[in-house]
Amino acid sequence: MKNVKIKSTRVLLAVIYIPVAFVLAFAPVKTNKPNALSSEELLEEVNSSVQFISPDDVADRIIKQDPFLQLIDVRTPEEFEKFSLPGAINIPLAQLLSDEYAYILNQSDYINVYYSNGTVFASQAWLLTRMKGYENNYVLMGGLNYWAETIMNPEAPSSTSPNEEVAKYNFRKGASQVLGGGATENDSAATSILAAPKPPIKKNTQRKRVQGGC
Amino acid sequence: MGPLIVYENITQNTNLFFAFLIGIGFGFVLEASGFSSSRKLAGQFYGYDTTVIKVFFTAAITAGIGLLIFGLFGWIDLDLIYINPYYKWSTIVGGMIMGAGFILGGFCPGTSFTGVAIGKIDAMIFVGGLLLGILIFTEGYPIFEGLYMAAYKGTPRVSSMMGISDGLFLLGLVIVAFGMFYVAEWAEKKFPLKEGSK
Amino acid sequence: MSEQSIPEFRKTSYFNPYVGGVLLGLVLLAAFYISGRGLGASGAVKSAVVAGVETIAPSHAENTKFYSDYADAHPNGPLKSWLVFEMLGVLIGGFISGAIHGRLKLQVEHSPKITSRKRLIFALAGGILFGIGSQLGRGCTSGSALSGMAVLSMGGFISMIFIFGTAYALAYFVRKLWI
Repeated sequence: MKNVKIKSTRVLLAVIYIPVAFVLAFAPVKTNKPNALSSEELLEEVNSSVQFISPDDVADRIIKQDPFLQLIDVRTPEEFEKFSLPGAINIPLAQLLSDEYAYILNQSDYINVYYSNGTVFASQAWLLTRMKGYENNYVLMGGLNYWAETIMNPEAPSSTSPNEEVAKYNFRKGASQVLGGGATENDSAATSILAAPKPPIKKNTQRKRVQGGC
Repeated sequence: MGPLIVYENITQNTNLFFAFLIGIGFGFVLEASGFSSSRKLAGQFYGYDTTVIKVFFTAAITAGIGLLIFGLFGWIDLDLIYINPYYKWSTIVGGMIMGAGFILGGFCPGTSFTGVAIGKIDAMIFVGGLLLGILIFTEGYPIFEGLYMAAYKGTPRVSSMMGISDGLFLLGLVIVAFGMFYVAEWAEKKFPLKEGSK
Repeated sequence: MSEQSIPEFRKTSYFNPYVGGVLLGLVLLAAFYISGRGLGASGAVKSAVVAGVETIAPSHAENTKFYSDYADAHPNGPLKSWLVFEMLGVLIGGFISGAIHGRLKLQVEHSPKITSRKRLIFALAGGILFGIGSQLGRGCTSGSALSGMAVLSMGGFISMIFIFGTAYALAYFVRKLWI
């Protein structure tokens, strides 16, 4: 009989599906999201200060036009307009976690350097993105204030200083000229270079959810 | 890894070609299961033929289980598949209007196309009605817009809204589905179609 | 038609519904695996409507927000869409199955208690309602309810509950159409 056949198919399906669903119900869930860090892991990183990158290192990379350096200004757009580092892009802290910036912050090809006037906002930005498991993000040590002191207007070392100090001063002096600091004070307003974010490298293209629906 | 369109860089045209093949499978299975007959479809609402409920829910739990297995083995990235957005009121009101259309017209859009394919004139008229209904919506969009955009809730899964795992929710769904199948088979015996009896 | 005639759909043999369901589920799974999306139907009809309006009344289409938004979202034109190609496949797949099982026949299927004319009027009314409802609900039985349930989406379940719930609630009042 046809109806008997239909019924036995149902029983057969139930015998297969229910145990399979039972296993799935208690199987571990797998995700490919970046691994979020626990508070303890974060504390350890904060304590070891791995998030900082020195202004000299950044200046060196800017001058050498390191293609993998991505400066990210986390201050407000108004402040960014007034002054910003060469090649920097503006992602205000308030918009840090919006989806449109995720592909810039969650990547494995560039060295992202957050900066603000001091280090408070940049450090907050670092902490927020690090918590989500994003890597390759750093904080400019001392922020723009320290940048101005060290790179733009370096203090001449005394004549008794060790050679490394003198070398550092010479580098900073050179850097300040290239980067438009130092004696030419009135130049500082003109250095606001608006840059586009670096294009994502092909293999790391941001994968987007498929669009569907009727 | 799937979805192939995202991970394997298949071209747009290849994707459309696959859409065509998938459509052939879809149309074949619908027709072969009896969805090209409005009287068979309507049977589910009177109990005399519950094929639709059986096919519909078996398909949903099969695909649901398949997706979770694929996800578990890393064959598909479940974060990237399309999940329909949930706009509370338009979903409810739209569903009610569709329900009324279903019981009056005897088809739903997908099944009406299989009816058209085998020469059902009522299915062709139904498709004509669909065109007209959609034209009413697109022309009258400003009237519907408020309701259409109201109460957007994102693209939630029921499981996450209930705070349980996808697998656990699916297990519940599978058990409910088999319970429904049991009732459906019982209903077919209880409410047979008595043709011609006045 | 004689008193105890067997309805047309009972004379022909269909797949075992559970076998059909498993096959349909596998087709749906393939759609997700390959294209990352579920099945659908009403979206293809919408593409046809938009294409029709753009052809017949191009200036109207350009000046109406709905059509211009749709054109912006579909830069390749309304007809070069996944659902349109899928639905062309459905017509062919349905035809193949109908041919194999000997069901190709030009006819109006209706209950012996109503006339063809009445059946066609209600088919038109049902189509119009389904057209409006599927747009408002962002998908029909296949696009929203079936595909949505497979991914356990809230929208899919709410759609399913209200489509079937309303149809069951109204079934008694229009029973003369079917039984």
